[in-house]
Amino acid sequence: MSTQPRSRFSLLAAVGIAVVWTLLPIIWLLRLALMPPSEAGAFPPSFLPTELHPAAILNILGHAYTDSKGHVFPAAGQSPQILLGLYNSLIVSVLVMVCTILIIVPLAYAFARFEFKAKTPLLMAILFSVSVPPVSTLIPFYIMFTELNLTGTRTGLVLINLTVTVPFVTWMLIGYFRNLPPVERLARIDGFGRLATLVRIVIPMAKSGIAVAAVVSFLFAWNEFVFATALVNGTNATTLPTSVSGLMFLQPQPGQLAASLFLSVIPAALIAYFLQRHIADMGFVDVVR
Amino acid sequence: MSPQRFALWLSVPVIVFMLAVMSYPMAYALWLSFQEVSFLGGRRTEFVGLANYLEVVRLREFWWSAWVTVHFTVVSVVLAIGIGLGLALVMHRVRRGSNVLRTLIILPWSVSLYASGIAWSYLSRGQTGIATSLFNRLQGITTTAEAHEISLINSAWIVDLLALGNAWNMAPLIAFFLLANLKTIPTRLYDLAALDQLTRWERFVHITLPPLRYTLFVFTSIATVLSMKLLDFIFVMTAGGPGNSSSSLAFTLYELAFRQSSMGLSAAMSFFLLAMIIGASLLLYVFWGRKIGEEA
Repeated sequence: MSTQPRSRFSLLAAVGIAVVWTLLPIIWLLRLALMPPSEAGAFPPSFLPTELHPAAILNILGHAYTDSKGHVFPAAGQSPQILLGLYNSLIVSVLVMVCTILIIVPLAYAFARFEFKAKTPLLMAILFSVSVPPVSTLIPFYIMFTELNLTGTRTGLVLINLTVTVPFVTWMLIGYFRNLPPVERLARIDGFGRLATLVRIVIPMAKSGIAVAAVVSFLFAWNEFVFATALVNGTNATTLPTSVSGLMFLQPQPGQLAASLFLSVIPAALIAYFLQRHIADMGFVDVVR
Repeated sequence: MSPQRFALWLSVPVIVFMLAVMSYPMAYALWLSFQEVSFLGGRRTEFVGLANYLEVVRLREFWWSAWVTVHFTVVSVVLAIGIGLGLALVMHRVRRGSNVLRTLIILPWSVSLYASGIAWSYLSRGQTGIATSLFNRLQGITTTAEAHEISLINSAWIVDLLALGNAWNMAPLIAFFLLANLKTIPTRLYDLAALDQLTRWERFVHITLPPLRYTLFVFTSIATVLSMKLLDFIFVMTAGGPGNSSSSLAFTLYELAFRQSSMGLSAAMSFFLLAMIIGASLLLYVFWGRKIGEEA
């Protein structure tokens, strides 16, 4: 790469723009969580916090805070809901991730490596279900779940999330499996059966791809809002997005809203960091073919 | 065991699952679209044939929402692909600190659509937004009474602003897939281009772009589908407003079913949206994807 001062400068400028573009909406929200509550609701809005203040973050976690002037900030009334949501979201997302991987690894493998009748229609069915808008299955699911008593349960939510993650992630992995070196015949010579080939050779080889698929399905369930709002909002199975939405229009406490959103972003961001490293490792060239 | 049987045996559980969980709601939605649902004195349904479909076509709201959806999707996709490509090129050029940069750039993708809806609405609304803050700061105004409120939300460009926020969310994933592709371009080609004295632009068009075409096509399709069915971001950021200037089809469907309880009408409308989504994917495939498939 050239190291002329001019191209160096333009690269730096480009990096600067990319970083500002990426971080601006996040920082604009985060600053509210760190402001003293009186400043967070002030008009005109101040650009950066005048002092860092932990009240919003502590309150949302269920702790009261007393500042140096003896001013008491009581724990947020929404706090138990938020913590319950955090707990439910973790359970639902992990279950969705595990189920998705268990379901789709064999499926993507079968589709990528074998020719069989009914393959094309089945593949089309998967692609079709990727395009179904969640709003149009929301009504039937809502009615169906009411009749089956699944509204307000984590089981129902896991099922619904799977209907989205399974087709999407299968579609992602098919190309990836197709691209792995053809080891089946060699494995056969070495005396591996078909299932053993899949479990002991193909899966370890495809770890990066499977990791990315796992992360994608975890994040999907973690962030899912539409189904959760309709099905578990206000119940004991409430997830983090829906319990945060309870705070959404509480104008006097924007700091607490911001703090609870960050609570939801931190695990996702850690996972995205992990994802970022694995996408680079995948040699993704043909994952989409 | 024959390969066919092994493959079927692997995929049967999934087929059963898909059938059980996916076909039933779809069939139910289809059935619902032919019914008039009333809630007076318990839920009752009455078969009305194609009446719901006819009503959808006659609704002015439907045509407006369809237009908003198209407008939103086109702007979202162009921005997401453009920004994704830009981010990929920047990440590809950076050597020192590339790990930090990549971690920052993937961040918006992990932010959920409802959280980014809130972030973008705080950023752009007059009461809380960056425009008000900057303007008053530059003018040296600090009191509430004197302060001016500058809102970036305006019915003239709200759809474009929403598309920008949507692109903010989608671009990182596109950028990473493109980056993986960029890494496979042999540096030798750039040396040859330097020998041939290609300009920057020619280098970009003839060397950088060709290997990205398939990924660009696939992500154009994905971004199209995701944008057309997007609900949470619009729901949180503008709730279809101001007025109905940003009520896309997905949003109108939701309103019809859950606020106005017109389940049958909403179900019928959802099939129009589904047809639009499938139509758009097919168009993309016929005019773009097929060509790439033939060349590759």
